Amino acid sequence: MLKAKVNLTDHDFVEGLKTGDDVVLKALYKKYYNLVLKLVVSNNGSSEAAQDVYQETIIILYEKCKDPEFKLSCQLQTYVYSVARNLWLKQLKKHGSTGELKDYHQDVFEEAGSDIKTHLKKEESIDKVYKSLEELGEPCASLIKDFYIKKMNMEEISEKFGYTNADNAKNQKYKCLQRLKRLYFDNFTIVD
Amino acid sequence: MRTVDLFDNYLEGKLGAQELAAFELRLSSDPVFQKAFEEHKTLVSILNASNERQILKSKLKHIHSVEFGKEAKIISINKPEKLTKRLGKTFMVAASAAVIAVFSTVAVLSTGGQVKQQDNAIKQLSLNNDKVQAQLDVIYENLGAKEDRKFASANFEGSAFALNNNGYVLTSWHLVNGADSIFIQNTSTERALTKIIFNDPALDIAVLKVEDEGLSKAWQIPFTFSNKSTDVGEEVFTLGYPREDVVYGEGSLSSLSGYGNNPAMYQVSIPVNEGNSGGPVMDSQGNVIGVIYGKLTTAEGTGYAIKSTEIIKSINAVEGDAAKSELLLSKTKSSLKKLKRSEQIKKIDPYVFNVLVYKERK
Repeated sequence: MLKAKVNLTDHDFVEGLKTGDDVVLKALYKKYYNLVLKLVVSNNGSSEAAQDVYQETIIILYEKCKDPEFKLSCQLQTYVYSVARNLWLKQLKKHGSTGELKDYHQDVFEEAGSDIKTHLKKEESIDKVYKSLEELGEPCASLIKDFYIKKMNMEEISEKFGYTNADNAKNQKYKCLQRLKRLYFDNFTIVD
Repeated sequence: MRTVDLFDNYLEGKLGAQELAAFELRLSSDPVFQKAFEEHKTLVSILNASNERQILKSKLKHIHSVEFGKEAKIISINKPEKLTKRLGKTFMVAASAAVIAVFSTVAVLSTGGQVKQQDNAIKQLSLNNDKVQAQLDVIYENLGAKEDRKFASANFEGSAFALNNNGYVLTSWHLVNGADSIFIQNTSTERALTKIIFNDPALDIAVLKVEDEGLSKAWQIPFTFSNKSTDVGEEVFTLGYPREDVVYGEGSLSSLSGYGNNPAMYQVSIPVNEGNSGGPVMDSQGNVIGVIYGKLTTAEGTGYAIKSTEIIKSINAVEGDAAKSELLLSKTKSSLKKLKRSEQIKKIDPYVFNVLVYKERK
């Protein structure tokens, strides 16, 4: 259906992202790339920088759409532009720029900043989890990922890692998780 | 069952009705239990979020490479600090053309030849949004004040480059239009008188021939004319004479059309200045893909070049002219393909000229 539809509305895009429709994601990506490219390269950025900014923008929008509470309160184009603009401005300021931008879109959605803040906070937590997993080392990191991300059950894990039985694997997982929590949280709460 | 397993089962909805009720009761009455659960939940959700974000990132990368992978890699449309760096590079190129380094230094010191360089001082970028109406500026300048060694000063200066091994050079028509006399010179060729053989005012090109037949005897042009359209995003460079020494500028091909969508031109992101007009635009392999025509005055690094394909068409259209066979473009194979840029420049340099134009003042 959607494939045949030539012009997707803002609502189509938001709904498509909510359901994780890859066709919609692709159409969205194509739609606003040039706008962000123009914005970034006209303001001292390279096309690579534009690509990074744009992809981060799409991630923010995508995750926003996944939030059941989310309602688009401006035009989608304005939202994309505002988030990208805000992200690029941050980069420029980091490099000591005055914060003046040559703009290509009239409206700017002021609340984009708070969405970016939420996003960056999450990114920070993710980085921290990665670092903790790295510190945790193998086989613990893989064991945790297999259980919590890949949703493998204890029998499968036991077989993969060569434990004698599922209980043994469960025990290992427990130890690994406790260590991960110790690394991730400054001081975590022990209940057992 | 360990508490952690209880947490996992709860999060996955695997608790039975009784277990669930007990769990929720403890959650609301035991603050330590609650805190431990919140931590656990946070960690698990971040693990999942990290995975989702990674999947999304790789999806976007894939979409990008499929949809936009072949597009231009733009270094930046306007970047003053980049320009400074480029200028720094040009000094190195100039130094490599060591033959008349001593000469030109003397000339500069003794005649105040700095004028030209000052005129080309880096322009501050205008970020004025109101200036939507961009203005195209054809590049040439009046250098009336400049003394040029023992010669009278030229009225206009620009660039040109060899078209073939018979002493023909290609330049901009706007540069030589109405000239009384036209000279070319560079580090390997002393000032030589030329005459206009062919022009195409619509395309803004002119072909000059060196009067002294002997001068081009040893010419072995290392580059060829590209007879194909070049792709957006291709790395391109130019050599020219915005100053007394040859200046190198690089960038990429930003558009397949010029100012006002002119299909006979390319847009290039090379910083060009007065004096660059008539200089060759080359691709990374050393094929001539165009000739510098002008630049946008409102944005630094937006240059325009006449397409080589248009030039070939224009020259091929010359009819019944005895000079036509002579005019034919260099057919030698480019010998620059696998060379480093600095090596390419050394080979190209003898065939790029400074054009000195004398016109009667009105």
